[in-house]
Amino acid sequence: MKRLILALMAVSSLTIISSEACLADKLADVIARGKLVVGTGTGNPPWHFRDESGQMAGFDVDVAKIVAKGIFGDDTKIEFVNQGSDARIPNIVTDKVDITCQFMTVTAERAQQVNFTIPYYREGVGLLLTEGGKYKTHEEMKTAGNAVTVSVLQNVYAEEMVHMALPQAKVDQYESVDLMYQALNSGRADAAATDVSALRWFIKQNPGKYVDAGYGWNPQTYSCGVKRGEQDWLNFVNTALHEAMTGVDFATYAASFEKWFGVRPPEPAVGFPGEMR
Amino acid sequence: MSYSFNFGVIWANLDTFLLGLALGLALAFASIAIGTVLGLVCAFASLAKGRLLRTVVAAYVTFVRNLPLLVIVLFAYFALPRLGLRLGKNESFIASLSLYAGAYLTEVFRAGLAGVPRGVIDAGLAIGLTRARVSLYVVLPIMLRNSLPALGTTFISLFKDTSLAATIAVQELTFVARKINVETFRVAEAWLAASFLYISTCLLLAAGLRRLERRFPKF
Repeated sequence: MKRLILALMAVSSLTIISSEACLADKLADVIARGKLVVGTGTGNPPWHFRDESGQMAGFDVDVAKIVAKGIFGDDTKIEFVNQGSDARIPNIVTDKVDITCQFMTVTAERAQQVNFTIPYYREGVGLLLTEGGKYKTHEEMKTAGNAVTVSVLQNVYAEEMVHMALPQAKVDQYESVDLMYQALNSGRADAAATDVSALRWFIKQNPGKYVDAGYGWNPQTYSCGVKRGEQDWLNFVNTALHEAMTGVDFATYAASFEKWFGVRPPEPAVGFPGEMR
Repeated sequence: MSYSFNFGVIWANLDTFLLGLALGLALAFASIAIGTVLGLVCAFASLAKGRLLRTVVAAYVTFVRNLPLLVIVLFAYFALPRLGLRLGKNESFIASLSLYAGAYLTEVFRAGLAGVPRGVIDAGLAIGLTRARVSLYVVLPIMLRNSLPALGTTFISLFKDTSLAATIAVQELTFVARKINVETFRVAEAWLAASFLYISTCLLLAAGLRRLERRFPKF
């Protein structure tokens, strides 16, 4: 009996050893490779695009740089894989990329396929107004009822989405973003309803011309995605992002946030860590 | 091809499609009515003795016929408010399409006028009709009869042009098809349904115009 138990123990310890050998260690792989392979897109400022000098730029890109800096102490050690939105999950699953940071909305459904990191931005819809226009705030527009016209990009439930914030507003749906902005510029619409990130970027690109009505709704969380089953890797990325938003790398995160969205994120309170509340 | 058709969404949204079609027809009728008046006036004016009037008409026709309708529509909708003239989106589209229709119809009526035999005009004058009455009772009916075939083509073409109103958020048939398309991803079904409605409406319009043509007395 004793022998049997010993034999079983030997076999099980062997299994443990061999399964540990099989366990991929993405963090170690990335370190050994000497660069981080990041999946993201191009052509979507302020998220991911090529700037005038042809370099990858945008908030997603900066988030990836924070991770690379955390690994190598050097945020240039990145290879960007240009991928469409529909390739975000497949490229993670098939190990084509170590991480995808590409304005990916967190949903429980997607979380069955990939692991999401902690969020680095919360997207929503906001109202863009012209500076010195008829309305100044969301409240004023709500009070004005059906006297208000809102332009929006034609999309699924676009009208319902606007009505969540302005139940009585007239909604004009346009087929392209530039027509939506033109409607606002020409006074055809009193406000344009668009993603808050796009809205802030647009305000920043056109200083003194537009204002934010100061109301955001329809929240969506943006996180990076990594392969399932790589808990160490996920923990590492989470730590890097967490410290960028609350700790030693806050200055980097805040500078990037301000660069792309025109506003500074709230300072982490010193003393008791706020996220533990 | 692995596309599987499902026309359920079309039936479910049939009322929206038909409303879109009705709006398109209303836009077309209004524009055709205004454009026809404009075209008639310009066609007769182009025969005027005064050089100025002829030049104005020629300039109008040349200018408008060489502009894409979409450019006119966008100008009227987005640029005119900035220049101080603000029409509603339907009115702005009707104004654009009327202006466009007017230019084409001027040419159609001018061709019709050219086909009125000199002899009947002289005959009218000979029996003591005034010039105005000759124009109204002699020239106009013959010209209309001459113009009918080309008129039918132009009307149908103008009806199809209402699809451009979708660009300025007018909820006509093309807008509806695009909306259903975006909302349900039944891409083929939405455009097929729109095509079917456009074709059948145009065929009906053509049949109506042919009947009209037959009922017109021949000269």
